[in-house]
Amino acid sequence: MDFEPRNHKTLPLAVVQGWMQAVIMHPDGIEAGIESPDAQRHLVVGLDDCESVIAPSRNLTGLERLSIYHNAYFARLLECMRSIYPAVARTLGDEAFDSLALGYLQAYPSRSYTLDRLGHNFAQFLDETRPDRDDAGQPTEEWPDFLLELARLEWAISEVFDGPGSENQHTLGAEDLLAVDPERWPELRLVAAPSLRTMAFRFPVNDYFTELRGLPPETDVPPLPSSGPSWLALSRRDFVVRRHDLESAQYELLTALIVGQTVGTAIAAIVAAADTSVLDLLAVQLRDWFRAWTAAGFFVAVEQVSD
Amino acid sequence: MSDTGTVVPRLGCKNLGLGVGLRTVHFPYLLEHWPAVDWFEIISENFIDSRGRPRYVLDMLAERYPLVMHGVSLSIGSTDPLNFDYLGRLKRLADAVRPGWISDHLCWTGVLGLNAHDLLPVPFNEETLAHVVERIRVVQDFLERPLVLENPSSYVTFRSSTMSEWEFLGRMADESDCGLLLDVNNVYVSSVNHDFDPVEYLDNIPHRRVVQCHLAGHTHCVTHLIDTHDRQVTDPVWELYRRAHRLTGGVSTLLEWDASIPPFPVVHAEVLKAREYLSSDGETMPAGRRAAADTSDVPQPVENQGNGAGGAPVHDPAVPHPLHLVGREVQ
Repeated sequence: MDFEPRNHKTLPLAVVQGWMQAVIMHPDGIEAGIESPDAQRHLVVGLDDCESVIAPSRNLTGLERLSIYHNAYFARLLECMRSIYPAVARTLGDEAFDSLALGYLQAYPSRSYTLDRLGHNFAQFLDETRPDRDDAGQPTEEWPDFLLELARLEWAISEVFDGPGSENQHTLGAEDLLAVDPERWPELRLVAAPSLRTMAFRFPVNDYFTELRGLPPETDVPPLPSSGPSWLALSRRDFVVRRHDLESAQYELLTALIVGQTVGTAIAAIVAAADTSVLDLLAVQLRDWFRAWTAAGFFVAVEQVSD
Repeated sequence: MSDTGTVVPRLGCKNLGLGVGLRTVHFPYLLEHWPAVDWFEIISENFIDSRGRPRYVLDMLAERYPLVMHGVSLSIGSTDPLNFDYLGRLKRLADAVRPGWISDHLCWTGVLGLNAHDLLPVPFNEETLAHVVERIRVVQDFLERPLVLENPSSYVTFRSSTMSEWEFLGRMADESDCGLLLDVNNVYVSSVNHDFDPVEYLDNIPHRRVVQCHLAGHTHCVTHLIDTHDRQVTDPVWELYRRAHRLTGGVSTLLEWDASIPPFPVVHAEVLKAREYLSSDGETMPAGRRAAADTSDVPQPVENQGNGAGGAPVHDPAVPHPLHLVGREVQ
């Protein structure tokens, strides 16, 4: 829309809105926003004649008045990002986090009616903008991977918190599982609670998250952990998100069950992957795992697989 | 402006009394104490997609209290197409919680598919009026109920405006047959920011179309006011509220508190002050308030006002509402 007015008293509404949005969302401030190609695309106005669009008040110039909206846009959305990603923000520190979040808001501005989706692409943005890539585009440092995984965890917590849950449903207890004929188990499927999800990390992300939450606000953050695989289940009970550390085999089994594999197929897969010397132990462990998982409300039904 | 005699006062909506804006930090208190509150206003966007605690608590409250749905994302003034996905979700929530009415703001929140999550002002002219009136009609048809629109606080005025805000509101309401949510604090904030007389504003809106009043606190930034919703209502706003009450004959009144939110009893007590103000004669402030009158609206030093050099300001304490993100609960 290229509108070059002779008389700004008759500016079309679409021109005013496109111009004002480009100005107040510009990351480098109002002046840079007014002179940006994005704003000039809507309206050719310079710093010296901004008041031909925005009237001054008794106390403030048109530029100063516009800057209130600019300040509000960034302050509000940065606060929002800090709320969605408190652990990433604390790990990086306010200044570094705000700088990253500003870049994110430019790359992925909100297109939703709800602020709940504001952080949807943040982990992807961290990956796209990681500063450690070599000439071939390959990462050379570990710490960006850790931050990315921490962001993935925090976003998953957001999704589980307000996503579908099983609070109004019966969840299977140990007695429900014991009531099933053992001969039938291999062909049965356990229906996972809708909030249940599993995550695999290259770093001990959940341990770090727990440690960080336990620290008083003004204390230094712990050093970033060395790499080392970890696995986690997220669930929701009584509307609060719960974190459950998993072992590798638990992760494999639970993930297989969540995607709908039969109990027999899912267990066969982890048995095949296990060292033969631990198979007896695994049999005992399986009983303990299912007892713990039913106590945590991971499953809502047992289904017969239909052909 | 004189009202037409054919308009039913408040569009037939009941006067619900003195209510409080529902905020998630108060959920535990409300569910434990079930305080005697006339009604609650919810932020629609906090609930339309919720399948967790916010929606659970809302359903519990809807059984015990009258509710009103107040939105921040309708963007009735935007030149982007209306978002019927959003409107559909709004309608489904309304069908479930049966609110007294649905409100939003006379504003735009973004164009070209973006959302600034702010209540941005429109120029007050014939083009905007025709645009907004047409969209209100479409929304009302879709929602199958009248829409109630609020005057937002604003910080700029446009050269392309050809009429006052109060003339625009009156014509908009009459031509679209919508209701008005008169935010008395916003009238005051905008009157200071735009150098107009708030009494003239109140006197010239169509009073029968006012369905509801909002009260809130603001921050005085020396050269302008910001609608922060982070403190008590100031005395000039109470004075305007008293006048609005007289002009409208009394309408549902609600207090908004969105930042530095105190415990629920403090918020509730703030809106209940309306009773004292309405029973006082206008010359005499309610007991205990006169001593505070001279200091309740004094300028506050504000950091980071103006355009921060080289980039966006951060940690600015005076941020206009809305900031409506539900806090996550995790163990």
